[in-house]
Amino acid sequence: MARPMYSWTKRWWVALEWIEDVLIEGRRLGAETEVYVTTGKSVTAEVRKGSIDRVSGAHGTGLGVRVILEGRIGASSTNDPHLWHRCLDAAIAAANVATSQPWEGLPGPGAKDGPPLSADSRVVPESSETVRLVTEMMKGAAEYPVAVTSGSATMAEGRTMLANTSGAWYEVPHTVVSLSLETICGQSPGYEFGQSVGPDIDPVAIGKKAASLAYRSQDGSEIPTGDYDVVLSPIASSQLLGAVLLPALSGRNVHAGRSPLAGSMGISVADPAFSLVDDPHLPRGLGSTWWDAEGTPTRRIPFISEGILTHFAYDRKTAFRYGAVSTGSAVRSGPGGAPAIGFHNIVVSGPGGDLQEGTVVCAHDLIGAHTANPMSGDLSVELANPFLIRDGNPAQPVRKAMLSGNVFSMIRDIAAFGDDIRQIGGTYLPSIRFKRQHIVGI
Amino acid sequence: MGDATKYYDIRHVKGQNTTIDVDNGHVESAGTSFFDLAVIRVLGPRGWGILTVDNFSSAGKDQTGVYLAEAEAHALATEQDVALADPARALLKVPPWGEDIRNMDLLEKVQLLSEIEGRARLPSVVNTRATYTERLEEVRFTDSSGTEFSYETCRSGYSVLAVASREGMMQMGYERCHSIGGHSLRHQGDVGEKAGTRAVQLLDAKPVKGGRMRVVLDPQLAGVFAHEAVGHASEGDLIHEGSSVLAGRTGDVIGSPLVTIVDDPTLHEFGFEPLDAEGSAVFRTEIIRQGVLSAFLHNRETLLSVGHGVGGHSRAMAGDLPLVRMSNTFIESGDATYEEVLAACHDGVLLKGSRGGQVDTGRGVFQFNAEYGYLIKDGEQGPMVRNVSLSGEILQTLHAISLVGDDLAMHAGYCGKGGQTVPVSDGAPHVLLDEAVVGGIGMD
Repeated sequence: MARPMYSWTKRWWVALEWIEDVLIEGRRLGAETEVYVTTGKSVTAEVRKGSIDRVSGAHGTGLGVRVILEGRIGASSTNDPHLWHRCLDAAIAAANVATSQPWEGLPGPGAKDGPPLSADSRVVPESSETVRLVTEMMKGAAEYPVAVTSGSATMAEGRTMLANTSGAWYEVPHTVVSLSLETICGQSPGYEFGQSVGPDIDPVAIGKKAASLAYRSQDGSEIPTGDYDVVLSPIASSQLLGAVLLPALSGRNVHAGRSPLAGSMGISVADPAFSLVDDPHLPRGLGSTWWDAEGTPTRRIPFISEGILTHFAYDRKTAFRYGAVSTGSAVRSGPGGAPAIGFHNIVVSGPGGDLQEGTVVCAHDLIGAHTANPMSGDLSVELANPFLIRDGNPAQPVRKAMLSGNVFSMIRDIAAFGDDIRQIGGTYLPSIRFKRQHIVGI
Repeated sequence: MGDATKYYDIRHVKGQNTTIDVDNGHVESAGTSFFDLAVIRVLGPRGWGILTVDNFSSAGKDQTGVYLAEAEAHALATEQDVALADPARALLKVPPWGEDIRNMDLLEKVQLLSEIEGRARLPSVVNTRATYTERLEEVRFTDSSGTEFSYETCRSGYSVLAVASREGMMQMGYERCHSIGGHSLRHQGDVGEKAGTRAVQLLDAKPVKGGRMRVVLDPQLAGVFAHEAVGHASEGDLIHEGSSVLAGRTGDVIGSPLVTIVDDPTLHEFGFEPLDAEGSAVFRTEIIRQGVLSAFLHNRETLLSVGHGVGGHSRAMAGDLPLVRMSNTFIESGDATYEEVLAACHDGVLLKGSRGGQVDTGRGVFQFNAEYGYLIKDGEQGPMVRNVSLSGEILQTLHAISLVGDDLAMHAGYCGKGGQTVPVSDGAPHVLLDEAVVGGIGMD
């Protein structure tokens, strides 16, 4: 039987008593003050050219300080907590040159502080375990005649702590196990990865998938330029949405004039089959949390419901400025600086259907998704591991295919969703079949 | 030094980072953060054991010994025999500062940046945003053979974005100016106006019709081509792993004889390095010489395992592991004038500016996106087009270069690899490709 997940007491090694001192000093200087601390350690084993050549450990602490002085917001960070005085002074200097805005205060202690949602006590970063995971991935890859070029296994545990002068004081542990493997067969590469809060991740399956993609993608044929139904894997679909759709849902981008969805609240922006929610309380979600990066209680936010746009994402700063309510969407990518609008666990769903009926071009990944135009939604990307499937016959590898389209149009033209929902970073989604997309082949 | 340690090095970087963000005239943030990070590498009986720690400034001799022992313990878990080439050792002088921006008041920087941002606010422009970054780094490198180097760098610059909107259509214009040695914010208003003008012009541009055609790349985009398509594929670690189409091809003709592509960390451009991240001296490397693949980019390990080239191409972000990276990468000038390049193209598309790119080095396929373009008709620049991108196979595309201009220009940018982002510059003259795959959704 698995050990209970929540046995965290007395496991941590960093003394945090100075946090109280930062808050006292901030208050003395007349500033609302917020302290955000991360501590963590990790171990990574890396494979190159078929064997493990490097094992790395990391330990670190990060301190972020944010102050608010009469609606002027300033922030600073350091990874030396002994320097908190310098960091607080820099945050106040930053506030002094910022533009003042309406501000209704940092949140008090109101969020549910339930059991950790994104941690598993079985994750203990040790080199022997990461070496085992890499070795297992290579075993999986060995089922096909391919070469392993590179890969890694990381186990990380950390703790996030948030306190402010309004009395909020939260602490939570988090863990993550990340695996990835790259293989090649001739000139045909294959890549697969997996991430989880715990060790419930199958390294052999990841190795096997990376190898099978490389093996099956060899000797691709050219396909004529034209319009095809396109099936994008969860990896490829998440890249598409992350590059264009998610930034357009940020309240800051909406009010600043950088979101093409700004005037679309309450109306259809996607196929009636398409729904997109942020579910911060998903058990074992990589982004799951009871409170956001500034201490606002989190809740489930349906951003797009059956094609209708129903919410934009707000942190406190943006909400106070534009008369909206925070959706608990503040995130920090690390201790540096201030929080920003983001998402916790995006879940994309829709009714299932036949992904392989008729003629379809499938892709496992996209090359160059970050070059999409986030304002217009236009993109042209190369498909990685593309296959052509005709009438349910075995998939035929394609040598080269470029997808030219528009993300906002693509989500209006969805033919079906797969039943293969998986977690890609902070996004949960299945394969998606898009109708009639332009593919440049030969 | 532990019994199992054959070699160790410590790269300690501390400094501060100042950023300013002005959005629609509102100073969103303007502040300074501090960092102090070290990477300790131990080469054990077989491979590397590595430890990343913060606040290394306060680590005394005893604590450093503890860190080295922890890194050594990691090294004992490896299985691959790693050997290192002997490096050349030299530290280049960091270029002098234009204006010492460290002494400029934060408020003055905010005001100067706001001026640039304000100039982008033209009719039809619905959003303007300018960001400034200034990063000061003090680097100290030591190793078990007694090597010790230290130097300071300052990289700074700004970017300005304008978004124009009309009847539901949104387009953007973007300009970026970064340099080493302190980039001045003074008298830069024209750059803001350029971003605003481009965004407005793009509202009237038509999408290009995708397909195979003749294209001209401007110096910025041709520089991205040199970086994405050739530079990455020549990185020694990818060659060593077997994930580059250029592996085993040195001495082969892989492109047109007009093409010479160089990576040069000694140039005083944004990718300048006075010393590489393994304490090796840096050198100019000609990757392709007149169409022939001549050399790869190396660190100490890949120089020995792969060969063909020189070391000194190892780079790292503060607190991250050294990786084989590009620095300042460019296509050398040819002798054609810009007008001759357009005339030789006759009918096609001129692609300008860059929204970035990506390459799959194993498959040899790259993709990148221009910010905008112009149709070329009868050898002359025609109407503006939008959403132009280019993809291709590295080897085919290098052979397709049929004319190289005489107007080399470098552009600063950032390059991502292995989760690390480092400052680089790319450059080229105007370049004509006889056939390329252009992406676009336009109709006839």
